[in-house]
Amino acid sequence: MLKEKIEEIRAQAEAAFKAAPSAKDLYDAKVQFLGKQGSFSSIMKEMGKLSAEEKPAFGKLVNEVKQALEAVYADRETALKGQELASQLQAEALDLSLPSATAAPGARHPVALVIEEISGILSRLGYSIRTGPLIESDRYNFEGLNFPPDHPARDMQDTFYIDKEHVLRTHTSPIQIRTMELERPPLRVVGVGPVFRADSDISHSPNFHQIEGLCVDRRVSMADLKGTISFFVREYFGKDLKTRFRPSFFPFTEPSAEVDCQCPICSGKGVIGSQDCRMCKASGWIEIGGSGLVHPNVLKLAGVQYPEWQGFAFGFGIERMAIIKYGIDDIRLFNENDVRFLRQFSL
Amino acid sequence: MKISLRWLSDYIDLSHPSCDYFAKPAELAAMLTAAGLEVESIENLAKQFEHVVVGTILKKDQHPGADRLTVCQVSTGEGKVHQIVCGAKNHNAGDNVVVALPGAVLPGNFAIKHSKIRGVESGGMLCSETELGLKTESDGILILPKEAPVGQPFAKYMGFDDILLELKVTPNRADCLSHFGLAREIATLTGREVKFPIETLVEDGGSTRDQMKVDLRASDMCPRYMGRGVVGVKVGPSPAWLKKRLESVGVNSINNVVDITNFVMLEVGQPLHAFDAAKLRGRQIIIDRAPAGEKFTTLDGTELTLGGDELTIRDSERAVVLAGIIGGANSGVDESTTELFIEAAYFTPSAVRRTARKFGIETDSSYRYTRGTNPEAVPLALNRAAQLVREIAGGKVMGSSYDLYPNAIKREPIAISLQTLSDRLGIQAKADEFEMWMKRLGCEATPVSPSASGSASGPAWSVLPPLFRWDLTVDVDLVEEFARLHGYQHIPETIPPLAAAPSVHDTSFVVESKIRRLLQGAGCLQALNYAFVSKAFQDSLLGSLDRVSAVGLRTQNEAVALMNPLNEEIGVMRTSLMPGLVKNVVYNSRHGNPFGRLFELGFGHFSDTSPEGKKSYPQEGRLGFAFWGNDESLWSKGEPAPLIFTLKGTVETLLRELGFKKWKWVPLTKDAPEFLHPGQSAALQLEGKSMGFIGTLHPSVAGEHKIRESVAVGELALEKLVAVKDRGLSYQPLVRMPAVDRDLAFVLPRELAVGDVETEMRKSAGELLRDVRVFDVFEGKDLAAGQRSVAFRLVFQAKDATLEDAQINELRDKVVKSVSEKFKVSLR
Repeated sequence: MLKEKIEEIRAQAEAAFKAAPSAKDLYDAKVQFLGKQGSFSSIMKEMGKLSAEEKPAFGKLVNEVKQALEAVYADRETALKGQELASQLQAEALDLSLPSATAAPGARHPVALVIEEISGILSRLGYSIRTGPLIESDRYNFEGLNFPPDHPARDMQDTFYIDKEHVLRTHTSPIQIRTMELERPPLRVVGVGPVFRADSDISHSPNFHQIEGLCVDRRVSMADLKGTISFFVREYFGKDLKTRFRPSFFPFTEPSAEVDCQCPICSGKGVIGSQDCRMCKASGWIEIGGSGLVHPNVLKLAGVQYPEWQGFAFGFGIERMAIIKYGIDDIRLFNENDVRFLRQFSL
Repeated sequence: MKISLRWLSDYIDLSHPSCDYFAKPAELAAMLTAAGLEVESIENLAKQFEHVVVGTILKKDQHPGADRLTVCQVSTGEGKVHQIVCGAKNHNAGDNVVVALPGAVLPGNFAIKHSKIRGVESGGMLCSETELGLKTESDGILILPKEAPVGQPFAKYMGFDDILLELKVTPNRADCLSHFGLAREIATLTGREVKFPIETLVEDGGSTRDQMKVDLRASDMCPRYMGRGVVGVKVGPSPAWLKKRLESVGVNSINNVVDITNFVMLEVGQPLHAFDAAKLRGRQIIIDRAPAGEKFTTLDGTELTLGGDELTIRDSERAVVLAGIIGGANSGVDESTTELFIEAAYFTPSAVRRTARKFGIETDSSYRYTRGTNPEAVPLALNRAAQLVREIAGGKVMGSSYDLYPNAIKREPIAISLQTLSDRLGIQAKADEFEMWMKRLGCEATPVSPSASGSASGPAWSVLPPLFRWDLTVDVDLVEEFARLHGYQHIPETIPPLAAAPSVHDTSFVVESKIRRLLQGAGCLQALNYAFVSKAFQDSLLGSLDRVSAVGLRTQNEAVALMNPLNEEIGVMRTSLMPGLVKNVVYNSRHGNPFGRLFELGFGHFSDTSPEGKKSYPQEGRLGFAFWGNDESLWSKGEPAPLIFTLKGTVETLLRELGFKKWKWVPLTKDAPEFLHPGQSAALQLEGKSMGFIGTLHPSVAGEHKIRESVAVGELALEKLVAVKDRGLSYQPLVRMPAVDRDLAFVLPRELAVGDVETEMRKSAGELLRDVRVFDVFEGKDLAAGQRSVAFRLVFQAKDATLEDAQINELRDKVVKSVSEKFKVSLR
């Protein structure tokens, strides 16, 4: 009789456990059947009515059923937890195609990028960086560089005047003079910074940047100058480009040379596919700067003993280098500070 | 400078078999460029008339299928006959015509091809002047004279078979500023022969000395003066050849006399001046300085007031020419002129240049004089001009010309050794090659003993350069001459050995590089503005300068101005980075960039005057910021903190990274610079000194420029940032004891700075209070107006012990008490 009752509870409990839709329902069912006030407990109270002989067998049965129900419960509990975790995970799923949460990247100005890159290359050859004032005296900007007063070479550079003795420096060469006056040779320095020319059109900015190298040593030659610049060109453009030197005139160098290198855009071929290269106008060569052996007058005026010490110097326009390297096609972009332009240089 | 190859070939054989430069002008250009005379462009005038020749109509028939067309058999010489269909009416058999053959591309990109016109083969076109681009309108085809040579290229027949070079002559090469000068240079480069353009001058009688008295009083500025009279001149149009010569190089024809002086200048590089002798008062020429205050009207009508040091050519009463620069309106040649006095002189470059610069006048004449003309070419040019006037303008050339040359100019010889050549160039120079090039250059190279050149051994020379090469004065000038003639391409490439350890980089460059990298990492974009700005904009933006200097940035009432600005927008040096950066925000805002974080490294410029009155222009390095708008790409966000806190955070990150441990923000309120929001700006103090500011752009400034986004700006003096010592990173042991938090929310009056409360908390709690963080600030709700709730999280931690609850609570209570008492506030 009791035995049937147990089997009945067992069947009911098993069914309830298995059907429980949630962990809470399952727990409620467990309380209902296996709890202190539960069905099983009431049955146990009736055990007292049994004979001493019947009791062990009945006790054993009760334990077996209870263990079996605990097992069913545990299985169901595991299953339900698994289901709940799965639905939680499903609910927490994210659309990873949404944009990332990082802020917009910063960037250095392309002019600064070029300056740092060129300085880096020349540093490897032992050059160190120097800067100087933007408003220069006539002495540093012209006279010390072998531009005599009233010399037509001054017309080569449209100059902004501040007063009779001061100009906005027209080149970074005054930095050379200042360095030679302050420091003893041998010297390997790079002068860098803004320069100014009273000239503004589609290809000329009145405020642009230059970088130039100066080497003063016991014995330096045009061959050393050529080797240094060729090394620089290969490093800067990252290609095995040839460099070409053409005779030219600068008051502060003699001999003087314009420097061309093979066009890095078309690798000196002058064409890209079947199209003429626009960067070098199909010539295969582009002009990148000026150079030469430092004129003895410049050395002497800066207090450097000539011919015991000699020097070479070379200079490049930074914006021009940026135009060549990054393909920038409008010089206005350098100073408009349009963030769509600036963001492109987050190297 | 424009050079005509036809003109050039008067003096040198350009079609020499070794290389015909008419056929290969690019080779001539390459050779000149490689020698330092850069050819910027080559223009082949014949190009547009390729495959266009002179022909003659042998037979003219009616077109079988069209009434208006004719079928012509046209000979172009050497037995070649072409059948050409023509629509004109003005041609007949026997006429000489212009034939465009297949392959020709006429003006307007009109390509001529073989074709069939109404079923009849046509191999070319008979051209009208319109089709040839010679006239805008024409009636029928061009009929050439009977003597036009059949078969000759039309370009040659018309004299269009010229090639023009645009030459960039550097200031040192005055000797190449003429056709003869360039021919001489080509002769040097090629070894070809160059011929002087002088014929014998025929004198017709009479004496220049009777015509004119000449008095050279300023021989310091005019070392050589020559003049010759020509009478019976008929001023009129120039002959076609002369017009064509001048026009080919872009010079307008005026009249035969003026054209001759221009022609001779472009031929030999010597400027000339022709006076109407009848207009010279007192029949006198005086070469002298002008009296101070004299008025002089140039032939183009500009009135100048002379200062007294200008060299002038004068008659007995007045200046008639600004020497070497421009003639006067009072003595020029005109249609009525019959008697000339032609002047050729050598004026010193500095004399001409000073005056030309002073008055801002540059003429073809002053251009050449300032670069240095050849005193030895003066008689050559004068005689050439007199002869041409005789031939072209029918004048009678007078004898006894003037040649006032009191001190003949001599050049100093230059000492040079083979060793110097080799050393400077890094090659093994050869003595015979050097001598060969010197000879071709017109230099006299005399071998001397090595010691005379300062060299220890090897060949050495004393070199006397010709008078037309003013640029050759010292040994390195000869090194360059040798190098360019030897060929720069033959100099090897070497890397010089490093003789000493490299020195350190400039500190400002190193720190600025670091700042650039740090700010890039912080999401900022580097801007770069001009160093000059509009004075009006800078003045109006900055407003009261006292307030700007009060935050530690130098200012100046009158910004350093440019004497010759390109325009007022870039007329003065900036004293602050703000004008540029604010303009950048306006630009970006208008160009659809609603969000940006800009920084800029630049200078402010100022002027100082020493007690002795000496001017100097110091520059102050600055770091500027302009942030605007919110990054809308961040899609998940609560209410963002006001933009100024983003800027504040960026600046603090930078200061920390640069090695600063302490700084202070001082609210500016009513002392804020006028362009800042007075309630949202602060000065940055380092070591007790203000060194810049941050702030929200004043709403009225933003409104004025129609900027809708919120804008935060800042500017710091770089000097302090650069001066910071290396951060000297060193490891600190980790504190492994547990940290415990206590949260406190105070109700504070709005005016009370949270920073002050925080300082008080740290002071009262002592070193066990490791950190204070503000994690919530709000107003409204149940708070009274003017009050706000600020929640602080206090983090307690001891270095060497676990803190007991009781101990922490005691510290917390101490903090509450001291804050409450000091600021008369209470916990929420």
